[in-house]
Amino acid sequence: MSDGPLIVQSDKTLLLDIDHPLSTDCRRAIAPFAELEKSPEHIHTYRLTSLGLWNARAAGHDAEKVIDVLIKYSRFAIPHALLVDVAETMGRYGRLRLESDPIHGLILISTDPAVLQEVVRGKKVAPLLGAKIDNETIAVHPSQRGHLKQALLRLGWPAEDFAGYVDGQAHEISLVEDGWHMREYQKLAAEGFWHGGSGVVVLPCGAGKTIVGAAAMAHAKATTLILVTNTVAARQWRDELLRRTNLHEDEIGEYSGAKKEIRPVTIATYQVMTTKKNGLFAHLDLFDGHDWGLIIYDEVHLLPAPIFRFTADIQSRRRLGLTATLVREDGMEGEVFSLIGPKRFDVPWKEIEAQGYIAPADCVEVRVTLTEHERLNYATAETENRYRVCATTATKKRVAIALAKIHENDQVLIIGQYIDQIDEISSDLAVPIIKGDTPIKEREFLYNEFRSGKIKCLVVSKVANFSIDLPEASIAIQISGTFGSRQEEAQRLGRILRPKADGRGARFYSLVARDTVDQDFAQNRQRFLAEQGYSYRIIDADDVFTGKL
Amino acid sequence: MSELKVVRSIMRSAPSFADELRARSDSELQLLFKLRADLIAPVPSDMTALSIRATSGPSLVRAIESLNQWQFEVLEACVALEEPLSIKSIIAATDKAAALIINELIARALLYKDGEDLRAPRALRDMIGTQPAGLGPVGPAKVKFKDLDEAPKAAHEILERLTWGPPRGQVGDVRKKGTAVAWLIEHHFLIPMDQTTVAMPREVGLFLRKGKVHKKITTTAPELVGEKRKQSEIDRAAIAGISNVLRWCHELMNYWAEETPSTLQAGGLGIRDLRKAAEHLGVTENCAAFVAELCYLSGIVVADPDGRVLPTSAFDMWQLKTPEEQWVEIATLWSLTSRVAGLVGKADSKNVNALGAELDRVNAAVIRAHILKMLLERAELAPSLDSAQSFIQWVYPNRRGGTLHADLVEWTLRESEWLGITGQGALSSFGNRFIEDADSIKINEALPKPVDHILIQADNTAIAPGPLTIEIARHLSTFADIESRGGATVYRFSESSIRRGLDHGHSGDEIRTFLTKTSKTPMPQPLEYLISDVARKHGRLKVGYANTYLRCEDEATINQILGDKRLEHLRLRQIAPQVIISDTESRETIEELRSAGYFPAGESNTGSVITAAGQTRAKSRPKPPRIIGEATEPSQTILNSAVRALRAGEKASARQPQRGAEVPRSTANETMDMLNKYIGEEVSLIIGYADTNGGVTQRIIDPLSISLGTLVARDHGSGEVQHFRIPRITGVTPA
Repeated sequence: MSDGPLIVQSDKTLLLDIDHPLSTDCRRAIAPFAELEKSPEHIHTYRLTSLGLWNARAAGHDAEKVIDVLIKYSRFAIPHALLVDVAETMGRYGRLRLESDPIHGLILISTDPAVLQEVVRGKKVAPLLGAKIDNETIAVHPSQRGHLKQALLRLGWPAEDFAGYVDGQAHEISLVEDGWHMREYQKLAAEGFWHGGSGVVVLPCGAGKTIVGAAAMAHAKATTLILVTNTVAARQWRDELLRRTNLHEDEIGEYSGAKKEIRPVTIATYQVMTTKKNGLFAHLDLFDGHDWGLIIYDEVHLLPAPIFRFTADIQSRRRLGLTATLVREDGMEGEVFSLIGPKRFDVPWKEIEAQGYIAPADCVEVRVTLTEHERLNYATAETENRYRVCATTATKKRVAIALAKIHENDQVLIIGQYIDQIDEISSDLAVPIIKGDTPIKEREFLYNEFRSGKIKCLVVSKVANFSIDLPEASIAIQISGTFGSRQEEAQRLGRILRPKADGRGARFYSLVARDTVDQDFAQNRQRFLAEQGYSYRIIDADDVFTGKL
Repeated sequence: MSELKVVRSIMRSAPSFADELRARSDSELQLLFKLRADLIAPVPSDMTALSIRATSGPSLVRAIESLNQWQFEVLEACVALEEPLSIKSIIAATDKAAALIINELIARALLYKDGEDLRAPRALRDMIGTQPAGLGPVGPAKVKFKDLDEAPKAAHEILERLTWGPPRGQVGDVRKKGTAVAWLIEHHFLIPMDQTTVAMPREVGLFLRKGKVHKKITTTAPELVGEKRKQSEIDRAAIAGISNVLRWCHELMNYWAEETPSTLQAGGLGIRDLRKAAEHLGVTENCAAFVAELCYLSGIVVADPDGRVLPTSAFDMWQLKTPEEQWVEIATLWSLTSRVAGLVGKADSKNVNALGAELDRVNAAVIRAHILKMLLERAELAPSLDSAQSFIQWVYPNRRGGTLHADLVEWTLRESEWLGITGQGALSSFGNRFIEDADSIKINEALPKPVDHILIQADNTAIAPGPLTIEIARHLSTFADIESRGGATVYRFSESSIRRGLDHGHSGDEIRTFLTKTSKTPMPQPLEYLISDVARKHGRLKVGYANTYLRCEDEATINQILGDKRLEHLRLRQIAPQVIISDTESRETIEELRSAGYFPAGESNTGSVITAAGQTRAKSRPKPPRIIGEATEPSQTILNSAVRALRAGEKASARQPQRGAEVPRSTANETMDMLNKYIGEEVSLIIGYADTNGGVTQRIIDPLSISLGTLVARDHGSGEVQHFRIPRITGVTPA
């Protein structure tokens, strides 16, 4: 029995002891087939899923290799049944193939007629199939490619897609690396995606996902549609592309509420894509009305349902999803996998931090004790209002203001959920505020002033949760949030993770009202970051006033 | 064989078999008892008794079942041949390898020596049947085989069809002249059995089979095929199996202690509970049934008389044993038991439940023993299921029909894998030592060493990087939930798990100290806060029971009452400055307070003062007793309707046809007496007979016989012989 770093559990989780000398080798060996679930400080958890194993098969790893790796690094003997299961699961991949045939067009083909029989009988699959050509071949309408793949995946017989991608309209795009270089992990991510065809790249906030997108475009050298969360993010993308690639301003179009430009590279917002006019999605033909060679989904964890549906129809176009937090509170991670593509690249946040590409962060939970009056108010509130009542107390506001004053020399972001609350803080501190009704122009102006250091403190609502690039922000004070959302917490921390010019660390304060639902939500919110190895330290609000931080 | 010969052979055989047994040496007898253990349970009184027992039906069945295919074939040949037998004739009818087998059969007392000859006990012939190896009955006359040359062509075809059995055939009419059948009968190549059946005499069969009894004999077991494995890999897989099966038993017991299932009315564990257990263990239902059965066999779980399935005190003892002791115990019980866990959940065995009464199968343990022996003889080979099944079919032929034989092989292989007797399908060195009954199986050395520490992480999980020592595991599981199991265990701390720990009587400090002591990594601050938060909140709200409260805005009075010695027996307890509680009834308390000179007033549950304190009321609802005795005079309406109803009833019954003569009635004993008395006397009886709808009819019958609770009689009504169920006969009288 070896004394390896890996423990294979009977529920198919893999526990990797990262203090073990072989842990780095092991991590590299299991990464292709096991999915990183969490990476706290001592033991990382990976999971063997059917999807992960099929991905590995798609990338050319066979079951024997996977089993060898497991046995090689395992600390304890692995139950034979589990290994058999791994081999069987991997054996299911590729029995069905989607190919394009010169005569029949798109076809579903299998060398195992029994499997074909089984899937043809599937209630969900049958309507997606066309005429039977012979015992091993069935025609498929190209528009059903995505739906069929989804349905087959659910049946447990994933089809290997050899039908390829359309190239799209060619357009010369290349990276211009003057004064900057692509980082190793960015290169790996872009290549991982390109060889996989389609898929999702997961990188921490501030680790330069835009550059991965730009690199993917340089691989594709074709017209590209980029979908982003909001207009400010759209403009950030444009600026970044102008800086990093040979693209000119007139080659990049913005398709948003304000402008409707269609250029070789078009950046559209999710909002405009899902706007309905007379009950119809008016702008969805942007998707297939043009011969895009690549579609990039920024912040793919926020992808709205109509876009999912539409994505199923455009399976012949290359798709790249970018995110820092592939967790959806609605549990639709599976849809992201089957429609955008499998996860092509993922790396623990702490590893990027160790390489110095994101700032080290100190997460602090500030426990605020409510006054007698506030407690009573909370106790008598209706259940649905309770979070609001405890999250917007005056005591919390006082603590937030005190914190802002302590950090008056730093670039501070104060982030809140409730507009009344952030309005008050903004007027009390006499600092500008950005919220939903702030015009785009003013937002951009304020962000620029903040970036340049003219404004030291900015109060923002949830509009600044993601995509907003504020390199010098080093302090974030969160006073309230969307209940227990894990990804929101991570994204907000992400706002301050850009490495600082002077190498300072970032600090993230989360204000939590003691003995209320706020505390329960906070625990859930912190889970993603805790699983990424961020350890919260807890201080009492009184320490803020006495300056013991 | 003529009738006379048969009679003679019977007369001779019985004493001479006993004589032969008498002549056997001690070691030969010991061998016999070793091979047929039932012969000495209990020890027979003398050799005659032994010979009778050895030729009794049940004992012979057992002896025959223990034979392998080849041994049985030889025995069949012996039965088919005419006595006296000789080694030479047996070899001629089978194969020269039969010489060895004959000795084995003699050792088993299935054949015995009669001077130079050999004989088979008469009862054995009955047991094997009249058509051994598909050969027909002994013919009455000598057959001239030369005649066959002149036989018509059709006759040859008929003979050919009957040669390899079955030896009987149907024909139109055996008396019809001029046909091939008639020719064959005439020349004694066939014997007419009845008007339409003919049989081929045994000597004809043997002649046509060219002196052999069987068409094909298998002197050796079929070759086992399968995959070759490396011993190191086998052992690695096996040790994983061993640690799994022990963990499963352990976890199942702990799970049932928390979530106790109940047995079904028919006994055994319901499928829903089994499914839950399987889900909890993360195994298939088959495997869960297997684990449950293992626990049941070793007595660490039992169904209480009230139907709850709970771990026993033996489980506590079991936990103190070393893994090897635990494993040897369950593996031994598994190899010996007649209970078959594989039957649970099998499609055609409904109502067969784990821990239920329907799981015993007599041949299960024998098949297990054969399989273990088979594996032992072939190191590093993982036999394929098909080949193992045909191998076992040869070693221990399935003579009862049904598919269970093949299933048992499959289940035994599957269960040995779960137990770690095999790894990757081949015998592990642990299994080898277990079968060979070695002093040490070396499981303790091979299992990972228990760890006595955990690693706590910032995401409120703790990981035990190996099997935890029992004390730590038990302690930890009271205030942490298990999230993942296997070689390591992942625990999660949550508000509810910590609260559970506090409910179990741990204090927040105790939990913290325990974790700091056991964890190799420093305790993360959020966990520390979580524990102290829950501990702070825990028990802040207190719930108790009291019968009466005393409330007074004047705290001085409250203090006075508390200090009053005369009220001590009320056991008053102050729970707030102005509130006292007591277990005494409120009425009693009020009276006691009054007699002590206070002026209490009762308070209703709405807080208002109960003024009319004197009028006591029962708490129960009004429930007056029923009136028994003379009815009161009915009202005119009731009288009218009663008369109307009576008249209507009269009319209805007047329209009914007259009932027939009275049906006889007698007690059950009288009925039986009467029937027995008149059976076959050709006397007619009248019986009352209840039909399936419950109506009783009268029948006149002539009783013929009684068997199995049924009277067979000729019914005068139909003129036919009918069967009457005796319990349905209401009475009998002579006609």
